[in-house]
Amino acid sequence: MPPKQTKGEYIETDTGNKVSRKSVILGSQNIILGGKTIIQADCTIRGDLRRTVAPGQNSGNVAIAVGRYCFLSRSSVLRPPGRTHQKTFSYYPMKIGDHVFVGEGCVVEAALIGSYVHIAKDCVIGKFAIIKDCVKIEEGTVIAPNTVIPSFSLVSGRPGVVIDELPETAQEGLECRSPNHLMRSIR
Amino acid sequence: MVPPSATYRFPTVHISCPCDESIAITPKSPTKPGAPAVPEEDPDESEEETFDPRAPRSNFSLFPLDNLLYCEDCKQIRCPRCVHDEIVCFFCPNCLFEVPSSTVKTDGNRCTRNCFSCPICFASLVVAPTGEGQAGPYILLCNHCLWSSGEIGIEFEKPTSIAAQLAEKLKPPALARASSGSFTSPLSPMSASSEGYFPSTGAPTIITPDDEEDKRELSPEERFIGLKAHYAQQKAGAGADEYGSSPGALSRLMGLISGLGSGSRSRSFGRGIGGFSNIGGKGKVEWTEWDAVKGIGDDEEELVERIKEIGFAGTTNKEQRIAQNHQPRFIQDLRPLATILRTKRSKRCRACRHILVKPESKPTTIRFRIKLVAMNYIPALSISRLDPTTFNYSALTPLSTHQFLLTITNPLFDPINITLATPAKTPGSYPSTVTILCPTFEVGANTDVWDEALQTTANTPTAAIKKGRKTGMLIGTVWDLGRNWTTVVIELVPPLLPLPGELDEDGDELATEDDRLVQVPVSVRVVYETDLERDDGGLGKEAKEKREHTYWSVLGLGRISEKMPTTAVEDVAGPSAARPTSLVSIAGKGVAGRGGAREEAGESRANRHSVR
Repeated sequence: MPPKQTKGEYIETDTGNKVSRKSVILGSQNIILGGKTIIQADCTIRGDLRRTVAPGQNSGNVAIAVGRYCFLSRSSVLRPPGRTHQKTFSYYPMKIGDHVFVGEGCVVEAALIGSYVHIAKDCVIGKFAIIKDCVKIEEGTVIAPNTVIPSFSLVSGRPGVVIDELPETAQEGLECRSPNHLMRSIR
Repeated sequence: MVPPSATYRFPTVHISCPCDESIAITPKSPTKPGAPAVPEEDPDESEEETFDPRAPRSNFSLFPLDNLLYCEDCKQIRCPRCVHDEIVCFFCPNCLFEVPSSTVKTDGNRCTRNCFSCPICFASLVVAPTGEGQAGPYILLCNHCLWSSGEIGIEFEKPTSIAAQLAEKLKPPALARASSGSFTSPLSPMSASSEGYFPSTGAPTIITPDDEEDKRELSPEERFIGLKAHYAQQKAGAGADEYGSSPGALSRLMGLISGLGSGSRSRSFGRGIGGFSNIGGKGKVEWTEWDAVKGIGDDEEELVERIKEIGFAGTTNKEQRIAQNHQPRFIQDLRPLATILRTKRSKRCRACRHILVKPESKPTTIRFRIKLVAMNYIPALSISRLDPTTFNYSALTPLSTHQFLLTITNPLFDPINITLATPAKTPGSYPSTVTILCPTFEVGANTDVWDEALQTTANTPTAAIKKGRKTGMLIGTVWDLGRNWTTVVIELVPPLLPLPGELDEDGDELATEDDRLVQVPVSVRVVYETDLERDDGGLGKEAKEKREHTYWSVLGLGRISEKMPTTAVEDVAGPSAARPTSLVSIAGKGVAGRGGAREEAGESRANRHSVR
């Protein structure tokens, strides 16, 4: 790594995450980034929306867990999903796997996103959606709440439905490989 | 790297699968591993003919590299057309439960748990309580368009086994006349599951021609049950394997089913059954004629009345209608759709039957036991623009020289020699002129994936040139090279096309939109030496084997602009601004490189010089 400027746009953590200074990270103690994850400017990550716990209970809950080599493009929003269950409203943790790309302007409220998932720009992932590994979501897709997307799916439309299967090479194709490529693009 | 979101954005690289020429169905004698590889085709032969990307058949043989497989035994690319699929497992894409194939046979290819999709917008439905405090009754609710099963008057007592409850509610006899569109079980008409759900309506529903007098319209279920009972009866008489083995019986069966689909409202179906069931046992079946095409009957008048009442907004659209078994005309008649199961499939080479892809059978895992994909065997091509700034691939300026970078990446662990060949003029009525500046070069072996990455973080990309191995002396001909990739320059001069709207004598457009797409066929010939595979895994002497592979690829370089060339200077100025030193080296040695091009068009050179 070349020596950083004292006040670069990105803060780099010990595990190699790069977080833009212009992003809005709330409740950072409830957020886990796996490493080598990049968070661009104007992203909003709502780690403060965590499970409501009875007073006195251990509140060390993780609201958002993001894996390695993820990329959150500009103006994307990660928000843990919430619902009223047995008369109490509570947020539920959001888990994101490795090699997940989130495009510009996406709003993600999924309960689970697997690994090797590509979400193109301007998508909305509804509350409690479950997206399995190796899924590609096309631009402008709106995935309804509670939807389950199985592996090797190409999803498109409003509401997002599986329109095609991805080939066996999907994992290689969707890898946010060339982290250097991404790094270079943001430097 | 092409952004994955772009499905059809320039530039595109497709690879032609040769399966339409060398009919893959004829099995080739499998070459023994260890024996020297025989090239699939005589190279001289294959090189003689230029692949024409505009030929009507080409559409079917061009695939992105990602979609291609590779058969190690045939040493050939395999496309989705020349592989066999075998189902490994069925699973529900919503609840991700695996469904045993025996259940699929009996219950049909739909989820029998709680998985339904919305009949309006096809999003998945959730079971939602309507009562106080999470209590029943329950409805199926669409979280996207807020349709609910309550709208069609269906509520459930308990939140589990919705499919069974729904089937119970849609039981035909009680409700058949309630609305003109009849009810359906959530299962496909091909399935045999209705028996469990409608035990009371068994064989008696077989319709005799007398029933035609009865005005009551049959629901698909009733028809289905009748059909099923009939077949059960016939099967009992004919012996169990009559249907399994006899092609005649099968075609009869299929004919009947398809006839049922197309004439779903025809009452004559009863007669068909009646005539059919007279002949029991093994006898051949005589077809009785169906009724003539029906005119507007009472029920159609009824429909017209209903449309008047409900209005256009209450009718279904094509997608909604087709998705349902009973093809309802009104939104009122739509039913929740049980989720269709999905499969995981293994793939076999059609020529030698070897398995190319075998996924693990668990629905949620993405691992493969066997995965022979072409991207691990044949070099990948990628295209980028020499001067990437302010350039629009979908508006190439005619008659000016465009320079593209063609990068060839080697997936093999041996260095490869590449020979590129392209016709000087692309096929089509408006040919573009193409020149590959360096048609023969070497690409390094694919070593450790992280080698390059670790190096390039510290160095600038141009430092890679210094690392060039044997090709170091050829610098200037290849544009750039790295660990396992080499980049060469391709020059393209698009023709000037007639403007859209210009017509010929016959009134046809002179240049269609298709003519504006620049598609360059490039033959890629790969020669390399590799360690000989051994059957015994023996130690022996280190034997090397020469292998060769040739394939055609088609580069979609862009779309020719309608605009007339205003200034041709921008194109030359661009690259020189980007990389001044390298451009000089190309300009200086370019001629030597071009001399090596297999097919050189004199006029293309003239053209280029005129532009500069």
